Amino acid sequence: MNPQLKGTEELQGTYLFDLAASAKALRLNRFLHGLTAAQNRANFKNNPEAALDKAGLTAEERRMVRELDWVALMRYGASFFCLEKLGRVKGVSNPEMVAGFRGETLEEFLKTRNVPGAR
Amino acid sequence: MAKILGGIGTSHVPTIGGAYDRNKQNDPDWAPLFRGYEPVKAWLSVRKPDVLVFFYNDHATTFFFDHYPTFALGVSAEYPIADEGLGPRAVPPLRGHADLARHMADALVNDEFDISVFQDLPIDHGVHSPLTLFWPPSPDWPGKIVPIEINVLQHPIPTPARCWKLGQAVRRAVLSYPEDLKVVIVGTGGLSHQMNGERAGFNNEKWDMKFLDLIARDPKKLTAMRHADYIRLGGTEGAEEIMWLAMRGALSPRAKKIHQNYYLPMTTAMAVALFEEPGEKPAAKKPRASRKPSRNAAQRARAFA
Repeated sequence: MNPQLKGTEELQGTYLFDLAASAKALRLNRFLHGLTAAQNRANFKNNPEAALDKAGLTAEERRMVRELDWVALMRYGASFFCLEKLGRVKGVSNPEMVAGFRGETLEEFLKTRNVPGAR
Repeated sequence: MAKILGGIGTSHVPTIGGAYDRNKQNDPDWAPLFRGYEPVKAWLSVRKPDVLVFFYNDHATTFFFDHYPTFALGVSAEYPIADEGLGPRAVPPLRGHADLARHMADALVNDEFDISVFQDLPIDHGVHSPLTLFWPPSPDWPGKIVPIEINVLQHPIPTPARCWKLGQAVRRAVLSYPEDLKVVIVGTGGLSHQMNGERAGFNNEKWDMKFLDLIARDPKKLTAMRHADYIRLGGTEGAEEIMWLAMRGALSPRAKKIHQNYYLPMTTAMAVALFEEPGEKPAAKKPRASRKPSRNAAQRARAFA
């Protein structure tokens, strides 16, 4: 283990994006990162299955993307910053994604915040 | 010769740029954030730097994990605004100081800091979300930037101590630039936040305050910490604070923190801190009649005799 990170394994509910996660989820993250291009967004919106085919994603990767299963995507090895691109395309805000990771509804999450309107 | 006027540490949450774009300056939910940047904006408009050197991180927007640079220096005269999934923000392309950046590339590499370089790649909110709050375009940006990307996304990320040393090397590089340029160093990111897992939404106001104190008073304490410490205290994305360390490393030990603001509305602690270098030495005072002239003054007097 990277000595800089020793001790983080004791933190609950924390997923560090390292080279193992990066390798495992490379295709998935590449697809998500690709959503920064307008043409790829249009293709994904118009024909999601064809776009997922073209990206060569596995059945499980496709399910997670299709269902916006944020917790599963994160555990699988997706980078949050790549997931953000998917969030933007699907109109899902960061607070909604964070609520998803926590297993809360957006309303439940906002109750834990100092200024729920600052979105 | 180029000189460094001071430094700015700032969060770079995308919603900061979003609030600016949606004119939320007077919205009660956002006003405390905007107000906190006013003194920084005023200081910049008085000191009028030519260039802001930015330590920032990309968010898997421009760079991807097929080749994620640990440190990368932008050397172009212009950088497009990146498309992060919603189309680029409606702000002008960033203007780069290519000549200073090329000089910095030479200086850093010859100083054994083997940084990679990039040309006209798009730049994301890591630079321009806070930039619009303290150096807004009207209609164009007030000056130029030199962007330095730091990997904080994919471990292994550079150590806090290494970022400090990068800051020191950047200081040497800037100060050795032969033209008269006024430069301000900016480090973006943090403070406490976590954007993954069931611990997402984690904040630690007490640690944030300690960080804001130490970055000014005793930054060596921060460089001695490991990433595990930053992650435990400030969340996984709290690791972005290493970019503040690079900024602080590029300032002199005598730089003083003259302003800070802290606002924690949602998921990320939004902070800004302004550091100022001591001014040029004031003109020598006339020696008082009763005081024995110093040796130097005596020598100067003889020279003019």
